[in-house]
Amino acid sequence: MTATDPAHPATGKQSWLARLAQKRWAGWLIALLVLPTLGLIVLGLYVAFVLMEDEPVVYANIEEHFKYGSTGGERESGFPYWLFQVLPRVCALHLPGPGYASLGMIFEEGKALPVGMSRRRYQGVDRTFLNCAGCHTSTVRDSPEAKPRLYLGMPANTFNLWAFQKFLFDCAKDPKLAAEYVVPEIDRLMREKGERLGLVDRYLVYPVAVAIVRERLLMLRGRFEPLLPYPEWGPGRVDTFNAAKVLFNFPLGALSEAEKNGPSDFPSIWLQQPRKGKQLHWDGNNSVVEERNKSAAFGTGTTPPTIDLVAIGRVEKWLLTVEPAKYPYTIDPAGASRGAAIYERYCASCHGANGRDFSGGLVGKVTPIKDIGTDRRRLDTYTYDLAVNQSMLYAGYPWRFQHFRKTFGYANMPLDGVWLRAPYLHNGSVPSLRELFEPASKRPKVFYRGNDVYDPKKVGFVSGVPAQGGKTFFKFDTSVAGNANTGHEGKAYGTELSPQDKDALVEYLKTF
Amino acid sequence: MAAKRKPGWWKRKLLVAIAVLVVLAAVGGGFTWYKFFREEPQPDWITKDPDMRFKYGSIGAERDAGMPYWIFYVLPRMFPEKLPRPGGWAALGVSWEQGQELPIGFTKKVVGFPRVANNCASCHAASYRKSPDENPTFVGSGPGHTLNLVGLFRFFVDCAKDPRFNADNLMREIKLVTDLSWIDRQIYRFLLIPITKKRLLERENQFAWIYRKDFPDWGRGRDDAMNLTKYFLLKLPMDDSVGPTDIPSIWNLKKYDRQGTTMNWAGDSHDAYSVIIDSALGVIGAAPKNKDEFLEQVKWLQQYLREKAPPKFPFPINEKLAGAGQAVFEANCATCHASDKTGKRMLLDAVGTDPERIWTWNKDNAIAANKVVGGFGIERKGLVETPLEGYNAPFLDGLWLRAPYLHNGSVPTLRDLLTPPEKRPKVFWRGYDVYDPVNVGFVSQGAEAQRVGTKHDTGERAGSNRGHAFGTNLPPAEKDALIEYLKMR
Repeated sequence: MTATDPAHPATGKQSWLARLAQKRWAGWLIALLVLPTLGLIVLGLYVAFVLMEDEPVVYANIEEHFKYGSTGGERESGFPYWLFQVLPRVCALHLPGPGYASLGMIFEEGKALPVGMSRRRYQGVDRTFLNCAGCHTSTVRDSPEAKPRLYLGMPANTFNLWAFQKFLFDCAKDPKLAAEYVVPEIDRLMREKGERLGLVDRYLVYPVAVAIVRERLLMLRGRFEPLLPYPEWGPGRVDTFNAAKVLFNFPLGALSEAEKNGPSDFPSIWLQQPRKGKQLHWDGNNSVVEERNKSAAFGTGTTPPTIDLVAIGRVEKWLLTVEPAKYPYTIDPAGASRGAAIYERYCASCHGANGRDFSGGLVGKVTPIKDIGTDRRRLDTYTYDLAVNQSMLYAGYPWRFQHFRKTFGYANMPLDGVWLRAPYLHNGSVPSLRELFEPASKRPKVFYRGNDVYDPKKVGFVSGVPAQGGKTFFKFDTSVAGNANTGHEGKAYGTELSPQDKDALVEYLKTF
Repeated sequence: MAAKRKPGWWKRKLLVAIAVLVVLAAVGGGFTWYKFFREEPQPDWITKDPDMRFKYGSIGAERDAGMPYWIFYVLPRMFPEKLPRPGGWAALGVSWEQGQELPIGFTKKVVGFPRVANNCASCHAASYRKSPDENPTFVGSGPGHTLNLVGLFRFFVDCAKDPRFNADNLMREIKLVTDLSWIDRQIYRFLLIPITKKRLLERENQFAWIYRKDFPDWGRGRDDAMNLTKYFLLKLPMDDSVGPTDIPSIWNLKKYDRQGTTMNWAGDSHDAYSVIIDSALGVIGAAPKNKDEFLEQVKWLQQYLREKAPPKFPFPINEKLAGAGQAVFEANCATCHASDKTGKRMLLDAVGTDPERIWTWNKDNAIAANKVVGGFGIERKGLVETPLEGYNAPFLDGLWLRAPYLHNGSVPTLRDLLTPPEKRPKVFWRGYDVYDPVNVGFVSQGAEAQRVGTKHDTGERAGSNRGHAFGTNLPPAEKDALIEYLKMR
């Protein structure tokens, strides 16, 4: 309504606004009105900036990316970075030893996070969560004194996911998971690292984060609770598909007894290209690599809207062709060549021509449970009801899950890098290859899992030692439900071969 | 001030204002149409294949009875305690093919936004397994003997009644599974969620009878069809009748071409065309928006179901024994089940089965219902406007898959049906889909049948297994032969 407005020709009379502007205190009034507005705008911009923050730590090198890169899981499921780092201090009581290493997580020199955890700044908070390497990377040592060598893509033989989960659940119940304990620990830890806890983080972000993390963990604990009294999985194993049921919020307590707790070994994940179209997972319940990968990515905390498909795509692509490391100990060529003939006769049709060529009529197909005769608990944890629910996952996206199928046996696996995949059978109930060729009655009834010292004679990890170098290993009892070491035995499975032939076969399998 | 303005100033202003309003209204109208009413056709894999169309094709129910897709998606995750057991929607015994986004009979269609509704196949698709270690085979148009329909109805109402059913909670759950645009989030938060809640709660009164403690549970594979019609189509006040009956097979409808046949358990409807119209109206839950389109749909369904063949018995049959059984059948069963009497009403006293289903419906109800449907401008022969006196003598096509037997599904197997009523099982479990080829029916006892199925107690109202004592005195060898023959029907 100014005088220059052509629609409102000047009238000679001044408007009330113009008169107001002539008062002496008008400046103050305007300042009073304008300053808070400016403040609000600045605050709004700051909040908008914070909410838009989404920066993963990026690694150009694919192996580093596999070990420490993000799957996008931190966005929805990430722990605030510093909270995660102080949990072992705050909840030390609930850990078997010092730090996350006591759960079998692997720390490379100079790294603050273990292999298999990534870091991303998301909505103003640095967050961390598991990635693929958490369950698919481990170490091998030649002797108890030797330095561990890291092998990417092998089953996380030492990582005790069960204990990791239990630690988090127990910590959530502990009154110490409160800002009063957590924030000062963060302050101290950051000072040790030469960093400072900012005011916003100290008074807003972390106190709120502690409450949210506790609430989330208690929610998860509540969902898992009916299965917590069941036998511990031990390192290197996970009850995969009951975790999937938690995703759908199936009340686990009301599941049939047969489907409660069926832990199985983490698998190796090399050479996915030649696996395409084959039945994947121990029971062969899916035959599309990309779908299986996205399914596994739920375990790294992703949700359909928050998964980082670009970052995961890099890993996916790399895994198509990455090969397992060669057997690092000596192989007797004469034995191996004798073993090759035996392998051809007994094993090739189900397990592939060799460690790289997965051809064979039954490779990647399911052998009915009554024929294979191995422990059926893992099979029974996967139900038809779960399979159909999974086909709702990623609804609205072009890659909605469509290939999950209930099966009634276990799939015949290719054996690339089989030396790194001990213990054997889907439930990891047989410590070494040599022992797998014995009938179940002669396989070890009790042994120890979680040691990374290799036994080149039996081909597997040392399994007869309960403790070593301050570490206690997991006592694996094959009489526990889910742990049976039966099956994969009889004439067709080579358990009736002569000891010399078995040795030769083992020698050959070292070349895989 | 006005005096200084040029002539026509007001007029120009007015025109501009009107133009602005018109544009705004057009934009607003377009937006409203796009976000709430535009209809996108379903994909070709549904519409081009008749079997898929029957299983997943829209019959137009999404407009009035459709639930916003993402609400449908998160309900079982948010309220699993209101389901009979773990398993999401699968816990309700829906027929769900592996790899399919939705169970059979659940249709997804965009009407403004993606919605989920039902079609005929939600009740009329049967599953069976030849052994527990086998995935189910689904037969479209078969009786949905596993479906816990009452459980489904209650689940919706129970969810809506829960104070946790609110926009904050639902939006939090939806955010975990999809990435809606800002506008769609507002639409869900402020319109779809509150409206859905309201609509579900409105049904509570009409569903009052399914919550009555003195009434039997329908259990899997049954529905109280005439009461549904009374309380939803006729909006009558609740009476004291209850009569859950087996969900029937609807294949091979051309058998009803014969003069004088009637349909439904009590012969209460004149012909297939009428039954399809009335059932479809029940699923749609309102007068059809476009009558011609609706009747086209009905005619397609009728044509499809006329020609749909009943499934063959999936186990070996002893042909010689079956041949002997044919003679037994001709002598003992054919008079009612393969004659001019078939598909027509028998007097109740002659058969002696449980009468309660008949008492759930009467002549006045039929007249009233015909009037309502006529009021939609739909012409059909419709419901039979006479008092009901008994049940139809059914055709026996695809009999093997139609277990449990009798109209109220009170006898688990054919062998049990050929056993004197007082010796038939008094308690068994319905809705387990592993087949028992020896007794011809589904496995109805044992741990798995109990875990999956629902208990049928023949002592409960409307659940009696009495009557139809025909053939129960045959010598055992003749029963065996007859059963073998019936596998082929």
